[in-house]
Amino acid sequence: MGRRKKIVQECETLMDKPENIRNIAIAAHVDHGKTTLTDNLLAGAGMISDETAGEQLAMDTEEDEQERGITIDAANVSMTHEYEDTNHLINLIDTPGHVDFGGDVTRAMRAVDGALVVVDAVEGAMPQTETVLRQALREGVKPTLFINKVDRLISELQEGPEEMQERLVAVIRDVNELIRGMTEEMDDIEDDWTVSVEEGTVGFGSALYKWGVSMPSMQRTGMDFGEIMELERADKRQELHERTPLADVVLDMVCEHFPNPIDAQPRRVPRIWRGDADSEVAEQMQLVDEDGDVVLMVTDIGVDPHAGEVAAGRVFSGTIEEGQELYVSGTAGKNRVQSVGVYMGGEREEVEEVPAGNIAAVTGLKDAIAGSTVSSVEMTPFESIEHISEPVITKSVEAQRMDDLPKLIETLQQVSKEDPTIEIEINEDTGEHLISGQGELHLEVVTQRIERNQGIPITTGEPIVVFREAPQEQSREVEGISPNRHNRFYITVHPLDNDIVETIQHGEASMDMPELERREALQEAGMDKDTSQNVEHIHGTNVIIDDTKGIQHLNETMELVLEGMEDALNDGPLAAEPVQGSLIRLHDARLHEDAIHRGPAQVIPAVRQAIHNSLIDAEIRLLEPIQDVRIDVPNEHMGAASGEVQGRRGRVDDMYQEGDLMVVEGIAPVEEMIGFSSDIRSATEGRASWNTENAGFRVMADNLQPETIKQIRERKGMKTELPEAINYF
Amino acid sequence: MLTFVGLGLYDERSITLAGRDAIASADRVFAEFYTSRLVGATVTDIEAFHDVDIEVRDRAGVEQTPDPVLDAAATGDAVFLTAGDTMISTTHVDLRLRAEARGIETRVIHGTSAQAAASSLTGLQNYRFGKATTLPFERSHGGDGVPASVVETIEDNAERDLHTLVFLDIDVDDDGEAYMAGDTAAELLADHWRPDALGVVVARAGSPDPVIRADTLDTLATMDFGDPLHLLLLPSSLHYIERDALATIADAPESLLEEYLAE
Repeated sequence: MGRRKKIVQECETLMDKPENIRNIAIAAHVDHGKTTLTDNLLAGAGMISDETAGEQLAMDTEEDEQERGITIDAANVSMTHEYEDTNHLINLIDTPGHVDFGGDVTRAMRAVDGALVVVDAVEGAMPQTETVLRQALREGVKPTLFINKVDRLISELQEGPEEMQERLVAVIRDVNELIRGMTEEMDDIEDDWTVSVEEGTVGFGSALYKWGVSMPSMQRTGMDFGEIMELERADKRQELHERTPLADVVLDMVCEHFPNPIDAQPRRVPRIWRGDADSEVAEQMQLVDEDGDVVLMVTDIGVDPHAGEVAAGRVFSGTIEEGQELYVSGTAGKNRVQSVGVYMGGEREEVEEVPAGNIAAVTGLKDAIAGSTVSSVEMTPFESIEHISEPVITKSVEAQRMDDLPKLIETLQQVSKEDPTIEIEINEDTGEHLISGQGELHLEVVTQRIERNQGIPITTGEPIVVFREAPQEQSREVEGISPNRHNRFYITVHPLDNDIVETIQHGEASMDMPELERREALQEAGMDKDTSQNVEHIHGTNVIIDDTKGIQHLNETMELVLEGMEDALNDGPLAAEPVQGSLIRLHDARLHEDAIHRGPAQVIPAVRQAIHNSLIDAEIRLLEPIQDVRIDVPNEHMGAASGEVQGRRGRVDDMYQEGDLMVVEGIAPVEEMIGFSSDIRSATEGRASWNTENAGFRVMADNLQPETIKQIRERKGMKTELPEAINYF
Repeated sequence: MLTFVGLGLYDERSITLAGRDAIASADRVFAEFYTSRLVGATVTDIEAFHDVDIEVRDRAGVEQTPDPVLDAAATGDAVFLTAGDTMISTTHVDLRLRAEARGIETRVIHGTSAQAAASSLTGLQNYRFGKATTLPFERSHGGDGVPASVVETIEDNAERDLHTLVFLDIDVDDDGEAYMAGDTAAELLADHWRPDALGVVVARAGSPDPVIRADTLDTLATMDFGDPLHLLLLPSSLHYIERDALATIADAPESLLEEYLAE
């Protein structure tokens, strides 16, 4: 029997024993060595040969990932590990480190119970370390820490024991400070989740040279740090690897310190699922009941050249098997499971069934997208994937050959299914489709995949920044009149409080959840009681309040009213960009008693016009996306680096020394950051390393508004004159 | 002067003599056919009959930009044509009020309306009708099935022992026109109200060959009434003359009529 087949069999026997299962993710700042570490674990489990670990990058399966040397999609793998005489099944989800792919990280976190946070010993905790930690903790995922690239401290920087200890302690302190700050207000976490060397929740080592240590491992092997430094200095790394292999250290830590599904699900289910806590399915999920209703939370959609679309996700309850007819959240009807399997490296192995507590790979779920809840009973879906990763940049995509058009449309739809942080706008009339994502790189990767994997030659346009529109003041009451003048709507708009916007962005208040919980979440964010009781709809970060009382026929007209509102909010009055952060109140309505005189042709334009006029009365402004920028640069190039930020309508907030480098921190508009990589390289002779992170939207300066609005309107083929009422710039 | 003229029910000959005279003396002739139309005549037929040019306005051209009509009426004699009577089951009183607001004199020349035909053709007595309602296509009211307000109107009338006249949707869009047929309407109400209720379908009122059929809604749903336009009536209890009329004119099953006969 082949080694691989044996592992599959081992996995299958372990799948039924949730107490021996660990579902984990590895998360880190880009280039801190996460994928190399993963290969170590695979080699340790016998999945790939020992020699190639560190070079094979087994989880970087897409060609462009291996080329770029960064991981883009979260991939999944299962392995076994013996700890304290018990065999354990470890389901691992690898997550991308580049910030452009943040949506994948959040989704991966929802499926796991433990997160191994990897930090580079030389660079220390970086902005994205904070981001991934926050994503993990928000999903109720317990962290441990692995400090990587310790070999560089010893061999490259030639640090002595004291210096080194100081540095490692500083890294641990920084990470703990983050954990403490983030868990302070989480009532469901009773234990202290900070990491410590003494408890064995911190490991050190070198993924490149495949050795690692922790307090328990030192006790077991009898090696102390001095001995390790000696071997590393003497270049006896193979010996080091053999005596204290990284895989054992890390996998022992995983088995000892990460919760199994039976421990994790009772705590995590209330945090990540907003359905009725007293329902049967809630209990089944908390108990990891393999005989219960099937509940699968899809984290990722992949494409298998033979089997087609494969949905991967965490089974929270029940046992998933071939032939089941399952509901897919947000769609009507059911999908039939064609096959179930688990992941081994980049490959999928079919198995008979996958019970609760495991990561499953399922085919046949044609309606599922990343983030779907798939279940055997109709249920509240897991909270909608949070809107924090809103797209900020758009590119047009056109097929070079007319014949490819249908295939391109299909591929684009596929792409948005696999990665919900991508938004697609299909325009069948012009053939010029729009694809929006998290950044330049994100779009570049996606469009290259279309060309390479599907063999469709495409032309892409220049990247364009996505704008937003938002009201700045409270409007007066505005009347919207239908074309036949028999229907009237009375509406006001206010800017929505920031706390409420954030609550919505984090998915803590949505129309998917039971009314009572939504009401409480909104009240907690500062909305008054009466308003929260009248919430009729939430669209993006806009809240629609129905303050009317007992108006005849409004019930059967409300769908159309909301359609008109959504219409108006999708295309704002300034430049047809999406409106955000508005609180819309419907105060009163007059409706024709005959349904035919209050149809879509009457209600939608009336409401749309009322919303636009009230937004204008609320002095709506254009918002642009901004990014946090951090540049690490040698002292002599600091001026050039900060100049690159300031010259882009940016603001430098802080400059300080860290080690032998200067750090420049600030913010700049995304629009100005297009092309930043090549400019900063030439300005600093390639000596700078930098990191950018989307930081939401900001109101543009008034003197820039008219010109920008005009440009957008021109680009969209709208008439360039603004409505007369917009006279406040 | 703005004169609203009803064209009557069916073709170019359904207009009154007064209406014909008004068209003959007008400087400009406008018309709209989105609320209803003459099934037996095209615009060209009407133009030929009166020997005038007719400017047809779409919904937006009446409701949102009525100025060309009003301008013509302010400076000369303008006529605004609609099928049926000009103010019944349409909303043109709004146009009349706008004209009055601009100081333009207005008058109305009636045509026969579907409402009148409904009584005339079926023998159901005019004073026994309650509120009328319109049954829309699903796409026209943005929901599924039958709007609650339609059923409410029918039930309210029934409670007060009054007949209901149900106008059937005409949907005009870029893809052409769609007329709700009597069998479709009967089927919708059979599914969403009462399949065993008595209904009367009137097809092509005002034409030389109108069809009038009374039966249960689920039976009417299986019939074919031919070309548009159709109306549906839902009688409450029947006066014995009404019963006789439905039996004679509308081929209603005797047993069904007995159930509806007023005590």
